[in-house]
Amino acid sequence: MIDWLTDPYQTQFMRHAAVTALLIGVLAPTIGVWVVLRRLAYLGDAMSHGTLAGVAGAYLTGISITIGALAAGVTMGLLVAVFDRQRRLGHDSAIGVAETLMFATGIILISRNDRIGVDLTHFLLGQIVTTSTHDIVVNSALTAVALAIVAFTFSDLRNVTFDAGHARQVGIPVGPLRIVLIVLISITVVVSLGTVGLLMSVAMLVTPAATARLLTNRIETMTAVAVAVGVVSSLGGLTASYHLATPPGPTIALVTVACFAAATLATLPRRRTTP
Amino acid sequence: MTNDHQASREHPVLKVAGLGVTYPPATMALADVTFQVHPGELVAVVGPNGAGKSTLFKAISGLVAHHGTVELCGNHCHHQRDRLGAAYIPQRNDLDADFPITVGQLVLAGRRRFLRLGQRPGQRHRQAAHDALERVGLADLHRRPLSTLSGGQMQRAFLARALAQEAHLILLDEALSGVDQPRAEALLDLFGDLARSGTAFLIATHDLSLARRRFSRCVAINHRLVADGSPDKALDPASIEATFGAPTTSNYAA
Repeated sequence: MIDWLTDPYQTQFMRHAAVTALLIGVLAPTIGVWVVLRRLAYLGDAMSHGTLAGVAGAYLTGISITIGALAAGVTMGLLVAVFDRQRRLGHDSAIGVAETLMFATGIILISRNDRIGVDLTHFLLGQIVTTSTHDIVVNSALTAVALAIVAFTFSDLRNVTFDAGHARQVGIPVGPLRIVLIVLISITVVVSLGTVGLLMSVAMLVTPAATARLLTNRIETMTAVAVAVGVVSSLGGLTASYHLATPPGPTIALVTVACFAAATLATLPRRRTTP
Repeated sequence: MTNDHQASREHPVLKVAGLGVTYPPATMALADVTFQVHPGELVAVVGPNGAGKSTLFKAISGLVAHHGTVELCGNHCHHQRDRLGAAYIPQRNDLDADFPITVGQLVLAGRRRFLRLGQRPGQRHRQAAHDALERVGLADLHRRPLSTLSGGQMQRAFLARALAQEAHLILLDEALSGVDQPRAEALLDLFGDLARSGTAFLIATHDLSLARRRFSRCVAINHRLVADGSPDKALDPASIEATFGAPTTSNYAA
Protein backbone atom coordinates (compact mmCIF):
# COMPACT_ATOMS: atom_id res chain seq x y z
CA MET A 1 0.00 0.00 0.00
CA ILE A 2 2.80 2.42 0.99
CA ASP A 3 4.55 1.64 -2.28
CA TRP A 4 1.33 2.29 -4.18
CA LEU A 5 1.18 5.72 -2.57
CA THR A 6 4.86 6.64 -2.93
CA ASP A 7 5.84 5.05 -6.26
CA PRO A 8 4.37 7.85 -8.39
CA TYR A 9 6.45 10.49 -6.62
CA GLN A 10 9.94 9.22 -7.43
CA THR A 11 10.31 11.77 -10.23
CA GLN A 12 10.55 15.53 -9.86
CA PHE A 13 7.74 16.31 -12.28
CA MET A 14 5.35 14.20 -10.19
CA ARG A 15 6.54 15.89 -6.98
CA HIS A 16 5.81 19.25 -8.62
CA ALA A 17 2.42 17.90 -9.60
CA ALA A 18 1.78 16.82 -5.99
CA VAL A 19 2.61 20.30 -4.63
CA THR A 20 0.29 21.89 -7.20
CA ALA A 21 -2.45 19.40 -6.35
CA LEU A 22 -1.98 20.21 -2.66
CA LEU A 23 -2.30 23.94 -3.32
CA ILE A 24 -5.54 23.58 -5.26
CA GLY A 25 -6.75 21.03 -2.72
CA VAL A 26 -6.48 23.68 0.02
CA LEU A 27 -7.44 26.82 -1.93
CA ALA A 28 -10.46 25.74 -3.98
CA PRO A 29 -12.47 24.19 -1.11
CA THR A 30 -11.75 27.20 1.15
CA ILE A 31 -13.22 29.56 -1.46
CA GLY A 32 -15.79 26.93 -2.41
CA VAL A 33 -17.35 27.11 1.06
CA TRP A 34 -18.55 30.64 0.24
CA VAL A 35 -19.52 29.67 -3.31
CA VAL A 36 -21.72 26.87 -1.95
CA LEU A 37 -23.20 28.91 0.92
CA ARG A 38 -24.01 31.82 -1.43
CA ARG A 39 -25.38 29.39 -4.04
CA LEU A 40 -22.93 30.67 -6.64
CA ALA A 41 -21.91 27.30 -8.11
CA TYR A 42 -23.14 28.29 -11.57
CA LEU A 43 -21.21 31.57 -11.38
CA GLY A 44 -18.07 29.63 -10.42
CA ASP A 45 -18.57 27.27 -13.36
CA ALA A 46 -19.21 30.13 -15.76
CA MET A 47 -16.21 32.11 -14.51
CA SER A 48 -13.95 29.13 -15.08
CA HIS A 49 -15.13 28.95 -18.70
CA GLY A 50 -14.99 32.71 -19.17
CA THR A 51 -11.37 32.78 -18.02
CA LEU A 52 -10.41 31.13 -21.30
CA ALA A 53 -10.77 34.51 -23.06
CA GLY A 54 -8.21 36.00 -20.67
CA VAL A 55 -5.77 33.13 -21.20
CA ALA A 56 -6.03 33.54 -24.97
CA GLY A 57 -5.71 37.32 -24.68
CA ALA A 58 -2.59 36.93 -22.54
CA TYR A 59 -0.96 34.69 -25.17
CA LEU A 60 -1.80 37.15 -27.93
CA THR A 61 -0.52 40.22 -26.10
CA GLY A 62 2.42 38.56 -24.36
CA ILE A 63 1.31 39.45 -20.83
CA SER A 64 1.29 36.96 -17.96
CA ILE A 65 -1.35 34.25 -18.26
CA THR A 66 -2.11 34.70 -14.57
CA ILE A 67 -2.89 38.39 -15.07
CA GLY A 68 -4.91 37.67 -18.23
CA ALA A 69 -6.98 35.01 -16.46
CA LEU A 70 -7.55 37.18 -13.40
CA ALA A 71 -8.64 40.10 -15.61
CA ALA A 72 -11.03 37.83 -17.49
CA GLY A 73 -12.52 36.53 -14.24
CA VAL A 74 -13.14 40.03 -12.91
CA THR A 75 -14.52 41.16 -16.31
CA MET A 76 -16.86 38.20 -16.23
CA GLY A 77 -18.07 39.16 -12.74
CA LEU A 78 -18.64 42.77 -13.85
CA LEU A 79 -20.52 41.64 -16.97
CA VAL A 80 -22.83 39.52 -14.82
CA ALA A 81 -23.42 42.54 -12.56
CA VAL A 82 -24.30 44.71 -15.60
CA PHE A 83 -26.60 42.10 -17.16
CA ASP A 84 -28.21 41.57 -13.75
CA ARG A 85 -29.57 45.12 -13.92
CA GLN A 86 -32.16 43.86 -16.40
CA ARG A 87 -34.83 43.06 -13.82
CA ARG A 88 -36.77 40.88 -16.25
CA LEU A 89 -33.85 38.43 -16.38
CA GLY A 90 -32.96 35.96 -13.68
CA HIS A 91 -29.43 35.88 -12.24
CA ASP A 92 -28.74 32.58 -14.04
CA SER A 93 -29.64 34.12 -17.41
CA ALA A 94 -27.23 37.00 -16.80
CA ILE A 95 -24.47 34.49 -15.97
CA GLY A 96 -25.31 32.36 -19.03
CA VAL A 97 -25.04 35.30 -21.44
CA ALA A 98 -21.75 36.53 -19.95
CA GLU A 99 -20.32 33.01 -20.01
CA THR A 100 -21.28 32.53 -23.65
CA LEU A 101 -19.59 35.77 -24.63
CA MET A 102 -16.34 35.07 -22.79
CA PHE A 103 -16.04 31.33 -23.49
CA ALA A 104 -16.84 31.62 -27.20
CA THR A 105 -14.37 34.50 -27.56
CA GLY A 106 -11.69 32.44 -25.83
CA ILE A 107 -12.21 29.37 -28.02
CA ILE A 108 -12.19 31.39 -31.25
CA LEU A 109 -9.02 33.25 -30.21
CA ILE A 110 -7.22 30.01 -29.35
CA SER A 111 -8.36 27.93 -32.30
CA ARG A 112 -7.84 30.58 -35.00
CA ASN A 113 -4.58 32.17 -33.96
CA ASP A 114 -1.29 30.49 -34.82
CA ARG A 115 0.64 32.64 -32.33
CA ILE A 116 -0.87 30.77 -29.43
CA GLY A 117 0.37 27.41 -30.63
CA VAL A 118 -0.94 25.55 -27.58
CA ASP A 119 -3.55 22.82 -27.67
CA LEU A 120 -6.92 23.95 -26.34
CA THR A 121 -7.14 20.80 -24.24
CA HIS A 122 -4.11 22.01 -22.22
CA PHE A 123 -6.33 24.68 -20.67
CA LEU A 124 -9.57 22.79 -20.70
CA LEU A 125 -8.36 19.60 -19.01
CA GLY A 126 -5.20 20.79 -17.25
CA GLN A 127 -1.61 19.52 -17.48
CA ILE A 128 -0.58 19.02 -13.89
CA VAL A 129 2.46 16.90 -14.76
CA THR A 130 4.07 19.76 -16.71
CA THR A 131 4.01 22.13 -13.72
CA SER A 132 7.27 24.07 -13.42
CA THR A 133 8.98 25.50 -10.34
CA HIS A 134 7.91 28.96 -11.54
CA ASP A 135 4.26 27.78 -11.67
CA ILE A 136 4.54 26.48 -8.12
CA VAL A 137 5.95 29.77 -6.84
CA VAL A 138 3.20 31.80 -8.55
CA ASN A 139 0.44 29.43 -7.42
CA SER A 140 1.78 29.39 -3.85
CA ALA A 141 1.79 33.20 -3.73
CA LEU A 142 -1.74 33.39 -5.14
CA THR A 143 -2.96 30.75 -2.68
CA ALA A 144 -1.36 32.57 0.27
CA VAL A 145 -2.95 35.88 -0.76
CA ALA A 146 -6.39 34.31 -1.22
CA LEU A 147 -6.27 32.46 2.12
CA ALA A 148 -5.14 35.65 3.90
CA ILE A 149 -8.09 37.56 2.40
CA VAL A 150 -10.52 34.87 3.56
CA ALA A 151 -9.04 34.88 7.08
CA PHE A 152 -9.20 38.70 7.24
CA THR A 153 -12.82 38.93 6.06
CA PHE A 154 -14.15 35.65 7.49
CA SER A 155 -16.78 36.99 9.90
CA ASP A 156 -17.89 39.69 7.45
CA LEU A 157 -18.27 37.06 4.71
CA ARG A 158 -20.42 35.00 7.09
CA ASN A 159 -22.61 37.96 8.02
CA VAL A 160 -23.04 39.15 4.43
CA THR A 161 -23.83 35.65 3.21
CA PHE A 162 -26.46 35.05 5.88
CA ASP A 163 -28.16 38.46 6.04
CA ALA A 164 -26.86 41.02 3.55
CA GLY A 165 -29.44 43.58 4.70
CA HIS A 166 -28.27 43.52 8.31
CA ALA A 167 -24.64 43.45 7.18
CA ARG A 168 -25.21 46.69 5.27
CA GLN A 169 -26.97 48.16 8.31
CA VAL A 170 -24.02 47.57 10.63
CA GLY A 171 -21.53 49.03 8.16
CA ILE A 172 -20.08 45.96 6.45
CA PRO A 173 -19.01 46.86 2.88
CA VAL A 174 -21.38 44.45 1.13
CA GLY A 175 -20.67 45.54 -2.48
CA PRO A 176 -16.85 45.49 -2.18
CA LEU A 177 -17.03 42.08 -0.48
CA ARG A 178 -18.95 40.72 -3.46
CA ILE A 179 -16.12 41.94 -5.72
CA VAL A 180 -13.59 40.37 -3.34
CA LEU A 181 -15.38 37.05 -3.67
CA ILE A 182 -15.31 37.29 -7.47
CA VAL A 183 -11.56 37.97 -7.33
CA LEU A 184 -11.12 34.98 -5.00
CA ILE A 185 -13.01 32.74 -7.44
CA SER A 186 -10.82 34.09 -10.27
CA ILE A 187 -7.66 33.28 -8.31
CA THR A 188 -8.96 29.76 -7.71
CA VAL A 189 -9.66 29.29 -11.41
CA VAL A 190 -6.16 30.54 -12.27
CA VAL A 191 -4.56 28.07 -9.87
CA SER A 192 -6.85 25.31 -11.22
CA LEU A 193 -5.72 26.11 -14.75
CA GLY A 194 -2.65 23.92 -14.53
CA THR A 195 -4.16 21.13 -12.43
CA VAL A 196 -7.70 20.08 -13.18
CA GLY A 197 -8.15 22.55 -16.05
CA LEU A 198 -10.89 25.07 -16.67
CA LEU A 199 -13.63 22.53 -17.36
CA MET A 200 -12.98 20.65 -14.12
CA SER A 201 -12.13 23.60 -11.85
CA VAL A 202 -15.72 23.82 -10.68
CA ALA A 203 -15.30 20.26 -9.37
CA MET A 204 -12.68 21.43 -6.87
CA LEU A 205 -14.52 24.67 -6.17
CA VAL A 206 -17.92 23.16 -5.44
CA THR A 207 -17.78 19.42 -4.68
CA PRO A 208 -15.54 19.34 -1.55
CA ALA A 209 -17.46 22.26 -0.02
CA ALA A 210 -20.81 20.66 -0.91
CA THR A 211 -19.58 17.41 0.67
CA ALA A 212 -18.61 19.26 3.84
CA ARG A 213 -21.98 21.05 3.95
CA LEU A 214 -23.70 17.68 4.19
CA LEU A 215 -21.58 16.74 7.21
CA THR A 216 -21.51 19.83 9.41
CA ASN A 217 -23.48 22.83 10.62
CA ARG A 218 -20.59 25.20 11.40
CA ILE A 219 -18.70 27.20 8.78
CA GLU A 220 -15.35 26.75 10.52
CA THR A 221 -15.78 22.96 10.59
CA MET A 222 -17.20 23.04 7.07
CA THR A 223 -14.04 24.77 5.86
CA ALA A 224 -11.78 22.24 7.59
CA VAL A 225 -13.74 19.25 6.23
CA ALA A 226 -13.87 20.77 2.73
CA VAL A 227 -10.09 21.27 2.74
CA ALA A 228 -9.56 17.69 3.97
CA VAL A 229 -11.79 16.37 1.17
CA GLY A 230 -10.00 18.65 -1.33
CA VAL A 231 -6.52 17.49 -0.32
CA VAL A 232 -7.49 13.80 -0.24
CA SER A 233 -9.21 14.16 -3.63
CA SER A 234 -6.40 16.04 -5.35
CA LEU A 235 -3.53 13.87 -4.05
CA GLY A 236 -5.59 10.67 -4.22
CA GLY A 237 -6.78 11.48 -7.72
CA LEU A 238 -3.25 12.27 -8.88
CA THR A 239 -1.94 9.00 -7.44
CA ALA A 240 -4.80 7.00 -8.93
CA SER A 241 -4.32 8.62 -12.33
CA TYR A 242 -0.65 7.49 -12.31
CA HIS A 243 -1.55 3.86 -11.64
CA LEU A 244 -4.62 3.78 -13.86
CA ALA A 245 -3.00 5.77 -16.68
CA THR A 246 -5.96 8.17 -16.77
CA PRO A 247 -5.87 11.99 -17.20
CA PRO A 248 -5.12 13.56 -13.75
CA GLY A 249 -7.71 16.39 -13.94
CA PRO A 250 -10.81 14.28 -14.57
CA THR A 251 -9.53 11.59 -12.16
CA ILE A 252 -9.21 14.18 -9.37
CA ALA A 253 -12.70 15.46 -10.21
CA LEU A 254 -14.15 11.93 -10.01
CA VAL A 255 -12.57 11.38 -6.58
CA THR A 256 -14.28 14.55 -5.29
CA VAL A 257 -17.60 13.21 -6.57
CA ALA A 258 -16.90 9.84 -4.89
CA CYS A 259 -16.40 11.71 -1.59
CA PHE A 260 -19.66 13.58 -2.16
CA ALA A 261 -21.48 10.30 -2.87
CA ALA A 262 -20.07 8.75 0.32
CA ALA A 263 -21.18 11.77 2.37
CA THR A 264 -24.63 11.62 0.79
CA LEU A 265 -25.00 7.95 1.68
CA ALA A 266 -23.63 8.50 5.18
CA THR A 267 -26.13 11.27 5.94
CA LEU A 268 -29.13 9.74 4.18
CA PRO A 269 -30.69 8.09 7.29
CA ARG A 270 -30.19 11.29 9.31
CA ARG A 271 -31.80 13.53 6.71
CA ARG A 272 -34.69 11.12 6.16
CA THR A 273 -35.71 11.60 9.77
CA THR A 274 -35.40 15.38 9.51
CA PRO A 275 -38.75 16.96 8.58
CA MET B 1 -40.11 58.71 35.56
CA THR B 2 -37.02 60.93 35.69
CA ASN B 3 -36.91 64.30 33.92
CA ASP B 4 -34.25 63.02 31.50
CA HIS B 5 -36.31 59.97 30.65
CA GLN B 6 -39.40 62.11 30.17
CA ALA B 7 -37.49 64.55 27.96
CA SER B 8 -36.12 61.73 25.79
CA ARG B 9 -39.66 60.43 25.33
CA GLU B 10 -40.72 63.82 24.01
CA HIS B 11 -38.18 63.62 21.16
CA PRO B 12 -39.07 61.08 18.50
CA VAL B 13 -36.64 58.25 17.86
CA LEU B 14 -37.97 58.09 14.29
CA LYS B 15 -39.43 60.80 12.08
CA VAL B 16 -40.56 59.82 8.60
CA ALA B 17 -41.81 62.57 6.29
CA GLY B 18 -43.15 62.22 2.74
CA LEU B 19 -41.53 58.79 2.42
CA GLY B 20 -42.04 57.13 -0.95
CA VAL B 21 -40.56 54.13 -2.76
CA THR B 22 -40.91 53.33 -6.46
CA TYR B 23 -39.48 50.06 -7.76
CA PRO B 24 -38.23 50.12 -11.37
CA PRO B 25 -39.62 50.57 -13.88
CA ALA B 26 -42.58 52.35 -12.29
CA THR B 27 -44.17 50.29 -9.50
CA MET B 28 -45.25 52.58 -6.72
CA ALA B 29 -44.77 50.67 -3.45
CA LEU B 30 -45.14 53.55 -1.00
CA ALA B 31 -46.10 57.19 -1.32
CA ASP B 32 -46.10 60.14 1.01
CA VAL B 33 -45.89 58.27 4.33
CA THR B 34 -45.45 60.53 7.32
CA PHE B 35 -45.38 59.55 10.99
CA GLN B 36 -43.14 59.51 14.03
CA VAL B 37 -42.28 57.05 16.77
CA HIS B 38 -41.18 57.94 20.29
CA PRO B 39 -38.80 56.00 22.54
CA GLY B 40 -40.52 53.12 24.29
CA GLU B 41 -43.44 52.95 21.85
CA LEU B 42 -44.70 49.57 20.68
CA VAL B 43 -46.32 50.18 17.30
CA ALA B 44 -48.12 47.62 15.13
CA VAL B 45 -47.87 48.18 11.38
CA VAL B 46 -50.85 46.55 9.69
CA GLY B 47 -51.87 46.21 6.07
CA PRO B 48 -52.69 43.55 3.48
CA ASN B 49 -50.07 41.52 1.62
CA GLY B 50 -48.16 43.76 -0.77
CA ALA B 51 -49.26 46.93 1.03
CA GLY B 52 -45.66 48.06 1.49
CA LYS B 53 -44.99 47.09 5.13
CA SER B 54 -41.66 45.41 4.36
CA THR B 55 -40.77 48.18 1.93
CA LEU B 56 -41.45 50.76 4.66
CA PHE B 57 -39.06 48.95 7.02
CA LYS B 58 -36.42 48.58 4.32
CA ALA B 59 -36.69 52.26 3.42
CA ILE B 60 -36.28 53.30 7.07
CA SER B 61 -33.25 50.96 7.27
CA GLY B 62 -31.77 52.35 4.05
CA LEU B 63 -32.02 49.03 2.22
CA VAL B 64 -34.10 50.42 -0.68
CA ALA B 65 -33.85 53.77 -2.44
CA HIS B 66 -36.55 56.20 -1.32
CA HIS B 67 -37.57 59.81 -1.45
CA GLY B 68 -38.74 61.88 1.48
CA THR B 69 -36.84 62.11 4.74
CA VAL B 70 -35.96 59.67 7.50
CA GLU B 71 -34.68 61.05 10.80
CA LEU B 72 -33.31 58.80 13.53
CA CYS B 73 -32.82 60.25 17.02
CA GLY B 74 -32.92 63.75 15.56
CA ASN B 75 -30.36 63.09 12.80
CA HIS B 76 -31.24 63.19 9.11
CA CYS B 77 -30.26 59.89 7.47
CA HIS B 78 -28.20 60.86 4.45
CA HIS B 79 -25.89 57.85 4.55
CA GLN B 80 -26.12 54.24 5.69
CA ARG B 81 -23.92 55.06 8.70
CA ASP B 82 -26.64 57.46 9.94
CA ARG B 83 -28.98 54.48 10.37
CA LEU B 84 -26.82 52.35 12.67
CA GLY B 85 -29.32 52.98 15.48
CA ALA B 86 -32.09 51.09 13.64
CA ALA B 87 -32.18 47.30 13.42
CA TYR B 88 -34.34 45.60 10.80
CA ILE B 89 -35.27 41.96 11.41
CA PRO B 90 -36.58 40.51 8.12
CA GLN B 91 -39.23 37.85 7.67
CA ARG B 92 -37.90 34.38 8.36
CA ASN B 93 -38.63 33.33 4.78
CA ASP B 94 -36.17 35.97 3.54
CA LEU B 95 -33.26 34.16 5.20
CA ASP B 96 -31.77 30.68 4.82
CA ALA B 97 -33.05 28.91 7.95
CA ASP B 98 -30.42 26.16 7.52
CA PHE B 99 -27.47 28.55 7.30
CA PRO B 100 -24.53 27.30 9.40
CA ILE B 101 -24.30 30.02 12.02
CA THR B 102 -24.49 29.68 15.80
CA VAL B 103 -26.69 31.82 18.02
CA GLY B 104 -23.59 33.45 19.53
CA GLN B 105 -22.15 34.31 16.11
CA LEU B 106 -25.48 35.80 15.03
CA VAL B 107 -25.68 38.06 18.06
CA LEU B 108 -22.04 39.08 17.79
CA ALA B 109 -22.85 40.36 14.26
CA GLY B 110 -24.77 43.15 15.99
CA ARG B 111 -21.49 44.40 17.49
CA ARG B 112 -19.95 44.83 14.03
CA ARG B 113 -21.01 48.49 13.95
CA PHE B 114 -18.43 49.16 16.68
CA LEU B 115 -15.57 47.36 14.88
CA ARG B 116 -13.22 48.23 12.04
CA LEU B 117 -12.83 46.03 8.96
CA GLY B 118 -11.03 42.82 9.98
CA GLN B 119 -11.06 43.70 13.70
CA ARG B 120 -11.86 40.77 15.98
CA PRO B 121 -14.48 41.43 18.69
CA GLY B 122 -12.79 41.67 22.08
CA GLN B 123 -14.04 40.75 25.55
CA ARG B 124 -16.19 43.90 25.83
CA HIS B 125 -18.11 42.99 22.69
CA ARG B 126 -18.44 39.33 23.65
CA GLN B 127 -19.82 40.42 27.03
CA ALA B 128 -22.31 42.76 25.32
CA ALA B 129 -23.47 39.89 23.08
CA HIS B 130 -23.80 37.63 26.12
CA ASP B 131 -25.80 40.29 27.99
CA ALA B 132 -28.12 40.67 24.99
CA LEU B 133 -28.68 36.91 24.93
CA GLU B 134 -29.42 36.95 28.65
CA ARG B 135 -32.03 39.68 28.21
CA VAL B 136 -33.93 37.51 25.74
CA GLY B 137 -33.44 34.32 27.78
CA LEU B 138 -31.13 32.49 25.37
CA ALA B 139 -27.78 32.73 27.17
CA ASP B 140 -27.57 28.93 27.46
CA LEU B 141 -28.02 28.45 23.73
CA HIS B 142 -25.19 30.61 22.39
CA ARG B 143 -23.30 27.61 20.97
CA ARG B 144 -26.37 26.09 19.31
CA PRO B 145 -26.75 26.28 15.50
CA LEU B 146 -29.47 28.81 14.67
CA SER B 147 -31.21 26.22 12.50
CA THR B 148 -31.98 24.07 15.55
CA LEU B 149 -34.04 26.77 17.29
CA SER B 150 -37.84 26.97 17.31
CA GLY B 151 -39.59 29.90 15.59
CA GLY B 152 -39.98 31.81 18.85
CA GLN B 153 -36.38 31.17 19.93
CA MET B 154 -35.16 32.32 16.53
CA GLN B 155 -37.01 35.63 16.89
CA ARG B 156 -35.44 36.04 20.34
CA ALA B 157 -31.99 35.44 18.83
CA PHE B 158 -32.57 38.13 16.20
CA LEU B 159 -33.86 40.43 18.91
CA ALA B 160 -30.64 39.80 20.86
CA ARG B 161 -28.66 40.78 17.75
CA ALA B 162 -30.60 44.06 17.62
CA LEU B 163 -29.95 44.65 21.34
CA ALA B 164 -26.24 43.91 20.87
CA GLN B 165 -26.32 46.51 18.09
CA GLU B 166 -27.62 48.97 20.72
CA ALA B 167 -30.46 49.88 18.38
CA HIS B 168 -32.91 52.55 19.54
CA LEU B 169 -35.48 51.39 17.00
CA ILE B 170 -36.22 47.75 16.15
CA LEU B 171 -38.22 46.93 13.03
CA LEU B 172 -39.68 43.43 13.07
CA ASP B 173 -41.21 42.12 9.85
CA GLU B 174 -43.92 39.52 10.57
CA ALA B 175 -42.07 38.53 13.74
CA LEU B 176 -44.98 36.47 15.02
CA SER B 177 -45.76 34.49 11.86
CA GLY B 178 -45.29 30.77 12.39
CA VAL B 179 -44.97 31.22 16.17
CA ASP B 180 -47.61 29.45 18.26
CA GLN B 181 -49.95 31.52 20.44
CA PRO B 182 -48.29 31.02 23.88
CA ARG B 183 -44.83 31.79 22.47
CA ALA B 184 -46.17 34.78 20.52
CA GLU B 185 -47.65 36.16 23.75
CA ALA B 186 -44.32 35.56 25.54
CA LEU B 187 -42.49 37.37 22.76
CA LEU B 188 -44.88 40.31 23.05
CA ASP B 189 -44.25 40.39 26.80
CA LEU B 190 -40.53 40.58 26.03
CA PHE B 191 -41.06 43.39 23.47
CA GLY B 192 -43.08 45.24 26.13
CA ASP B 193 -40.33 44.84 28.74
CA LEU B 194 -37.70 46.13 26.33
CA ALA B 195 -39.93 49.00 25.24
CA ARG B 196 -40.26 50.09 28.86
CA SER B 197 -36.48 50.53 28.94
CA GLY B 198 -36.74 52.97 26.02
CA THR B 199 -36.34 50.88 22.87
CA ALA B 200 -38.99 51.65 20.24
CA PHE B 201 -40.59 48.84 18.22
CA LEU B 202 -42.32 48.82 14.86
CA ILE B 203 -43.82 45.38 14.29
CA ALA B 204 -45.53 44.37 11.06
CA THR B 205 -48.37 41.95 11.62
CA HIS B 206 -51.41 40.53 9.89
CA ASP B 207 -53.08 39.68 13.17
CA LEU B 208 -55.52 42.49 13.84
CA SER B 209 -56.81 40.82 16.97
CA LEU B 210 -53.29 40.80 18.40
CA ALA B 211 -52.75 44.39 17.31
CA ARG B 212 -55.87 45.44 19.22
CA ARG B 213 -54.97 43.55 22.39
CA ARG B 214 -51.25 44.06 22.71
CA PHE B 215 -50.29 47.35 21.06
CA SER B 216 -50.91 50.88 22.22
CA ARG B 217 -50.68 52.25 18.71
CA CYS B 218 -51.35 51.01 15.17
CA VAL B 219 -50.18 52.35 11.81
CA ALA B 220 -52.33 51.09 8.94
CA ILE B 221 -50.83 51.30 5.46
CA ASN B 222 -51.83 50.33 1.97
CA HIS B 223 -49.14 51.98 -0.19
CA ARG B 224 -50.07 55.15 1.70
CA LEU B 225 -50.67 55.89 5.34
CA VAL B 226 -54.34 55.08 5.92
CA ALA B 227 -54.62 55.46 9.70
CA ASP B 228 -52.39 56.15 12.67
CA GLY B 229 -53.44 56.11 16.29
CA SER B 230 -54.77 53.93 19.05
CA PRO B 231 -56.05 50.49 17.95
CA ASP B 232 -59.63 51.66 18.51
CA LYS B 233 -59.13 54.53 16.10
CA ALA B 234 -56.72 53.01 13.55
CA LEU B 235 -58.61 49.72 13.36
CA ASP B 236 -62.18 51.00 13.28
CA PRO B 237 -64.39 49.58 10.50
CA ALA B 238 -63.85 52.55 8.18
CA SER B 239 -60.05 52.37 8.52
CA ILE B 240 -60.03 48.61 8.04
CA GLU B 241 -62.08 48.94 4.89
CA ALA B 242 -59.77 51.68 3.61
CA THR B 243 -56.74 49.53 4.42
CA PHE B 244 -57.85 46.04 3.45
CA GLY B 245 -60.67 46.72 1.00
CA ALA B 246 -63.99 44.96 1.57
CA PRO B 247 -64.41 44.09 5.25
CA THR B 248 -64.28 40.43 6.28
CA THR B 249 -65.15 38.66 9.51
CA SER B 250 -61.49 38.04 10.30
CA ASN B 251 -60.70 41.68 9.76
CA TYR B 252 -63.12 42.60 12.50
CA ALA B 253 -62.19 39.77 14.83
CA ALA B 254 -61.54 41.15 18.27
